[in-house]
Amino acid sequence: MIREIISAILFILGALIYITAVFGVYKFKYVLNRMHAAALGDTLGLLLAVSGGIVYYGFQFVSLKLVLILVFLWITSPVAGHFLAKLEYTTDPEAEGKEFVSVSLKELEKEEKQND
Amino acid sequence: MSRVRTDYEKTLWRKIVRFVNGEKDLFDEQSGFNVETEELEDRRHRNFFEEAELNKKKVQIAELIEERSEETEQRAVKLYERFYRLFAVITCVAIIAILLVTVANLPDYGDPDNPANNEVSKKYIEDGIKDTGAVNIVAGMILDYRAFDTLGESHVLFIAAVCVMILLKIDPDSEKGKRFISLENDRAYEPKNDPILVWATGILVPIIIVFGIYVILNGHLSPGGGFSGGAIIGAGLILYLNAFGFKKTERFFTQKTFSVVSVSALLFYSISKTYAFFTGANGIHNIISKGTAGDIISAGLILPLNICVGAVVACTMYSFYGMFRKGGL
Amino acid sequence: MINAFTFVLLGFLIICAISTCFCKNFLTSVIIFMSYSIIMSILWMVLESPDLAITEAAVGAGVTSLLFFVTLKKIHSMNDKNNEDNKAPMDEKEKDRSADM
Repeated sequence: MIREIISAILFILGALIYITAVFGVYKFKYVLNRMHAAALGDTLGLLLAVSGGIVYYGFQFVSLKLVLILVFLWITSPVAGHFLAKLEYTTDPEAEGKEFVSVSLKELEKEEKQND
Repeated sequence: MSRVRTDYEKTLWRKIVRFVNGEKDLFDEQSGFNVETEELEDRRHRNFFEEAELNKKKVQIAELIEERSEETEQRAVKLYERFYRLFAVITCVAIIAILLVTVANLPDYGDPDNPANNEVSKKYIEDGIKDTGAVNIVAGMILDYRAFDTLGESHVLFIAAVCVMILLKIDPDSEKGKRFISLENDRAYEPKNDPILVWATGILVPIIIVFGIYVILNGHLSPGGGFSGGAIIGAGLILYLNAFGFKKTERFFTQKTFSVVSVSALLFYSISKTYAFFTGANGIHNIISKGTAGDIISAGLILPLNICVGAVVACTMYSFYGMFRKGGL
Repeated sequence: MINAFTFVLLGFLIICAISTCFCKNFLTSVIIFMSYSIIMSILWMVLESPDLAITEAAVGAGVTSLLFFVTLKKIHSMNDKNNEDNKAPMDEKEKDRSADM
């Protein structure tokens, strides 16, 4: 009984985080801000929701599957967010901190040439 | 009584055909100036002195024709757009109505009295494990009872890959191909040797490919099979390609690999299935043993056929991506 | 048999299908099509056909949308129409970089 209550609380918290993320995606105007909101939902909301499922099922095979889902999504979604941010920086001429990024990109190019 | 017509060229159908072929403008004729200009042309031969005046007139007439034709063209375009929208709406509404009526008349979901629950599906469900040896009845159906369909599907995939190759392949040795490659290089803003992506790919790609192999090898025991597993492996290869670039993938996957793997898989499929058809098809005693249902190595030909289909699908997916990106593998 | 969850999924499916047609931007419509595929694969799971669910998730959401993205990039249709003036300097830069490579 206590376990079910804990899992329900975790599920509700996760859903609240997701709702906040969706609200942020619609509310913010700038790409990086919106991405920040979406990444919050992807990581923290997923952690809360999946841990709710794990608490509900206890020590079972299903829980292992849920842990695997958590691990894979925690690996992939920050990488996708990183690439979206990098693309925004490289293609938007008016992005903030543009000078720093262009300098580091030139260094990267040099490294690539040396590697090739 | 049939009537012989000699003026086929003037019938409405011929006019429409010529309009569709683009030989003639349908609205040019209505302006009515063409006949006059022809007459003027005739008269021009008669009198030399009238020529200047006639030329002036002709210019005026040509201007008039242009104005008129532009007007009529615009009007026709507007009319066409209006009719196009109207007919699009009518067609959509008609199709939606037909589909909704059909859905409303469908039998209930899960009803045992459905016409689909006839003796065919009963035979498949009851004798499936005994006939094919596969626990997964779907795999037994698509790779044993109806293996011929799956053979056609794999060939369709292979033919699609070959067609994409014919259309998009760029010969890197020719002068034109070199120019194409330098122009079409779209990797300027791509992640290349990005440490984060390389790290994540190094963790994920082996797991993805192992999962794809598991789905293929377990096709006759659990949900999955050749097509899904092949698609998963293809997606993993595409991720690897995006992280490390073409130079790294060319170490193990070139055009030669593609042709060897898919052609040999299709050949093995065709030959083994023909052999199975001749030596004992459905219901007849088969030479190839079924094994005990539930083991990994069981169900006769289903496991090797799953592997063949998976190889073809993975190669096709990866080669599609390579063709679209670079024009080569 | 058909519970509330299925009805919600079906509603999302119809919304996705309609908005895929009506999007002005190709990129947006490809992404909406991707979510259509994912909802479809969950629906296959609800209809108790996991084979189709796996295939739909791998092919419909993964490989097909990747091919769509590559095609959009090839025909230079990723940008918005309002963003066209952004495009010219990018092309020049690309050519410079590709000449370097």
